[in-house]
Amino acid sequence: MDIPQKLAPIRKGLLEFVILRVVAADKVYVADMLKRLSETEFATQEVTLYPLLSKLRREELVDYEWQESDAGPPRKYYKLTAKGRAQLSVLNDYWKDLNRTLADFGK
Amino acid sequence: MQKVVTVNLNGNAYSLEEPGFDALRTYLQRAQARLTDNPDRAEIMADLEQAIAEKCARFLGSHKTVVTSAEIETILAEMGPVENADERADTVRDAPKAESQGAPPRDADAPKRLYQIREGAMLTGVCNGLAAFFNVDVTLVRIIFVILAICTAGAWVLVYIGLAFIVPYADTSEDRAAAYGLPFNAEELISQAKLHHAHFKARHAWRRQWRREQRAWHRHWHRQWRHVSEQAQMAATPPAPSMGYVGNTVLGISLPFIAVVSAALFVVWAFAMISLLTTGAIFGWPLPPGVPLWAGVVILVALHILVTAPLRAARFGGPRHWGTPAYGAWAALYGVLWIAFTAIFFWFAYLHIPQIHALIERLPEIWTHVTTGITV
Repeated sequence: MDIPQKLAPIRKGLLEFVILRVVAADKVYVADMLKRLSETEFATQEVTLYPLLSKLRREELVDYEWQESDAGPPRKYYKLTAKGRAQLSVLNDYWKDLNRTLADFGK
Repeated sequence: MQKVVTVNLNGNAYSLEEPGFDALRTYLQRAQARLTDNPDRAEIMADLEQAIAEKCARFLGSHKTVVTSAEIETILAEMGPVENADERADTVRDAPKAESQGAPPRDADAPKRLYQIREGAMLTGVCNGLAAFFNVDVTLVRIIFVILAICTAGAWVLVYIGLAFIVPYADTSEDRAAAYGLPFNAEELISQAKLHHAHFKARHAWRRQWRREQRAWHRHWHRQWRHVSEQAQMAATPPAPSMGYVGNTVLGISLPFIAVVSAALFVVWAFAMISLLTTGAIFGWPLPPGVPLWAGVVILVALHILVTAPLRAARFGGPRHWGTPAYGAWAALYGVLWIAFTAIFFWFAYLHIPQIHALIERLPEIWTHVTTGITV
């Protein structure tokens, strides 16, 4: 079993965190989000991302607004809500703690 | 030339080649089925359609107005396999599915239907399909069918023929998945194909090794033999064959032996059954008081299955145990021999043993006796 495969559950668990960070940076359209992710270890697909975003929206962490587009019908642009921002800062802190713990074990 | 279908994807009209349209429709239906429990199903479906529409637009230009089937395949591959489409499985692409490591799981959500399965079928695949449906060994189903056929004086054969006509064949991969109650999707098919390939390879590797060892053993033996004949005074010790060869030989010798033992057991069992049915006692031992005749029949059948189970396990478990999945071939051979043996046995018995002749003549009467025994 190679390392990327071994750590697949970790990437899977982190996907929500990654999405929140991407959405926090700027209002994003799903196709752009996928394109950004596709160049990273977190490459994913529509069929996964849309249900995840709908779950985050039900939890009121993200919201979307419609924006007119030059090519075709209006598009959904996702952005973070206040609750999402609070959640993200908790996650960020937790992630820093994890990194610190990891660094403390053996050098 | 391909027929073109125009579709409405979330408010956009697109012209697709027909096979591509079929693939897309199947994909969206699966996605919808997968999202049944999701409160935002309608919205997610609209999002997916929208995403597909945008991907279609990428392939179209002022001189290209139709999306080809190959392009639809590309688009659906980019969208990702539907199996991940529920929010619990919010997997990152390429994440391995735990169940793809071993045998495919039986999914409670997956449809399970009764089919006839031609692969490994003896006649038309009715028993095979029933075995798959109830998840039991096919040999057991066949034994039950043969017993029923005997007990009903052949009437059960009509039921079999009826089933053979009514029950559909599992001809497509999707049907076969439904016959075994397996989830059907591309991922599952690929993992199953991989599994079969691995078995196939293991089997061939085993055969190759076996042949190699056999050749080596022969060469060695011939050399020794020449050696012995040329120098007759030397007492040449026979070469020690390798462990693998010894193991194979032991199995080769023991298999026919096991077959003879189980055939003998079957003869004893058949005579016991006949004496029970004709005289109401097994070889002169009457049934305990209060035990009806039909219970005696059931007990005898159960005893036979119980006694022969280790023999079956030795015969079919042996080769499989050492990584040779020749199970299917053995099972098929065994099944054919078993049925042929049973048929010949009854034919001879009918011709030459008066008691059995009388029994077969009396079968309808015994049948009514047995059924009234059950209903009373």
